[in-house]
Parts: sequence; C-alpha cells; structure tokens
Amino acid sequence: MSATARATARALFVTAMICGVATSARSHHAAAPVFDLNTEKTITGVVKQVDWTNPHIWVWVDVQNTSGQVETWGFEGMSPNFLSRRGWTRASLLPGMRITVTFRPLRDGKAGGMFMTGKLDDGKVLTSAS
Amino acid sequence: MTHATRIVLLLVAAVTISVAAQERTSKPPAAADWAALAKLPDLTGVWEAPTVGRGGRGPAAAPQPVPQLTPAYAAKKRDLDARNLDDTEAANCLPTGMPAIMGHPYPYEFLLTPGKVTIVTEAYQQVRHIYTDGRPLPADPDPTFNGTSIGRWEGDALVVETIGFSPLTTIVRNTPHSDKMRVVERFRLTAPDTMSVETTVIDPEALTTPWTTTRMLARHREWTIREYICEENNRNFLDAQGKAGVKLTLPAKKE
Repeated sequence: MSATARATARALFVTAMICGVATSARSHHAAAPVFDLNTEKTITGVVKQVDWTNPHIWVWVDVQNTSGQVETWGFEGMSPNFLSRRGWTRASLLPGMRITVTFRPLRDGKAGGMFMTGKLDDGKVLTSAS
Repeated sequence: MTHATRIVLLLVAAVTISVAAQERTSKPPAAADWAALAKLPDLTGVWEAPTVGRGGRGPAAAPQPVPQLTPAYAAKKRDLDARNLDDTEAANCLPTGMPAIMGHPYPYEFLLTPGKVTIVTEAYQQVRHIYTDGRPLPADPDPTFNGTSIGRWEGDALVVETIGFSPLTTIVRNTPHSDKMRVVERFRLTAPDTMSVETTVIDPEALTTPWTTTRMLARHREWTIREYICEENNRNFLDAQGKAGVKLTLPAKKE
C-alpha cells in the first residue's frame, strides 16, 4: 500500500469513527442547531490560545487566509473532564503548536466549529468527540 | 403537682413540639451502623455509562422505549415541538433535574453512609441526597429539580423513590410532567464493576403507562470526580426566541 493509500485509509477510518459516535449524548447542549454535523472541514494554523475550561474546551487557532491576513478561528471541544479521562492533558495543545484541525463548521459561517481531531506536526492526532 | 414540676413539663412539651416541627433529626451513627454498610452490595465509587466511542468500553445503549403520553400531555408536547426550540435551557447552564440528571455522559460517585446514599453527579456539579434511614417521603415537599428521595434495600437492589419535581424539569425534552410524577429507580450490581439502573417514571396525568428505561454504568476505580462549573466559559446559549448560538469572541489573553 502506498503512503497516499495508507493516509486515505486512515482518514476513512477516522471519519468512520467520528460518524459512529455522532449520535452520542452531549451533556451540555445540542450540537446540530449550531454546527453542521454533515460537513467536515480541515484547516491548518498555529495554536494561539487554549481554554482548558468547562463546559467545553476552546482551541483558538491563527490561520492565514487567502489574502495573507491572519484570522483567529475558534473550535469547541469536549470538556476537560471528558478529555482528561481519554488521554488529553492541559498541555496536549499549547500556543505556538502548528495544528491541522478537522471540524464541523458553524452554521452561521463564522470562523469556527466543533473540534473533531487535531493533527500535530509530530503526527499525533488528538480526538475530541463524544 | 408543684409549681416547679409544672414549669418543667411545660418546657419539655415546648421542646418536643419544636423538634416535631423541624425536619427529621438523624441519630448519630454507631459502630454497628458503619459495620452494617459493609454487608450491603458495594455500590461505592465512580461510575459512568459506557457508549460507543467512549474508549471502546462497552456496547451502544440498547434502544429504549419512549414515554406514552396521555392526550392532554401529547398536546402540550405538540405545542412545545411547534415552537421549534433549538435546544434546552441546559445550553444556558441550567441543570436538567430528574430524571435526565441520571443520563449524562459524565460520571457519578456513589457514597454510602449510615442512613443515606449520596450521588455526586459531575455534570453541573450536583448532589442527590437519598435517605435510607426508614423515614417516609414527605407528604408535600417543595418542588425541586432533583426531587425529594428516600431509598430502601430490596434484596440486592437499592430502590429509590423520588417525588416533588420543579415544573422547570421535563420527563424528556418538550415533555412536561405533572405534580404527580414519581420516579422509582432500582440500582443493582450485575457484575463486580457493572451496575444496572432501571428507572420507572410514573405520572398518572402525563403518562398512560409507567415508562421504564435501563442504563448500565461501569465502575472506574481509578477515577475521581472533577470540578464542573458550567459558567466558567459557557459560549453556548439559547435565546428568548429559542434559537441556539455560540459566542465566538476571542477571550482576553489569560496570564
């Protein structure tokens, strides 16, 4: 299997995992009214700030847009409570890290979404899905 | 009867009436009361419902029956559904109350002490107080989110009865309850670290038949309950028109 094929297979596997859990309960709020759960987008940038807070973590990522300007995107993840029991720590994502975020976009089109996975430069993938 | 005796009797009567008017006073636990706990099924520890995607700890929850509503309450539900509310007030950090409090994707810690079972629920940082000291349910408790609970042991099951629910809580989403709602829960170990929670909602005004669901919980001896302050950084909201949204303003840099 070529590297590309392996990457594709992995992406499909990750997608299948995400789809499989899409209907799980979210304690705090309904996701569907604010996030487009049928769309998945990917964006690459540099972590500006991480709010390791309840009821959700927020990952703020500086992304260079097509006209060369830096725009800050906000991504909502699960809670520190949920994630810390599944391999995350508050140091898993730190300002300055380069990250590729897979997310479900905000329905209003603003610069943000629901954080699904974040791939770091060292290849580590962080998953935040209930 | 001497004058002094009459005064003493009056004082005793006054104290007795005063005690009777207060809430039930628990007796101090004796060593035997603590020892008796060790003979009960061990429900202590931190529990959470395993579901698909939760670290592969268990199978998906079995499909559950839906509440069968009386015509009057079916109409209430239709009216609420027609409002097309995006979400519940939970998006604004209002806790759900019973019975939904027991359905969170967050852990619960069960504590057994003489005369009481305490359930610490991590989501929204709440506590359920279940008295197992033989007291009866009060006749007409003030309505609260989690209701007023008593418990008793029936064989190996802890059976909890709860009444007195706030009208701000629902049976399920958009499904109000009446002030007659009663919830009976049976907590029972089915394996050393597996607990079955069978919940029956009885409401003669809202439901045509009692509504029973079962949820399995898995024990995590290595876990502790964490803090959960919903207002810490809640960017979700449900506005007065029932529309949900997200506040996306970048917070000030925290040092």
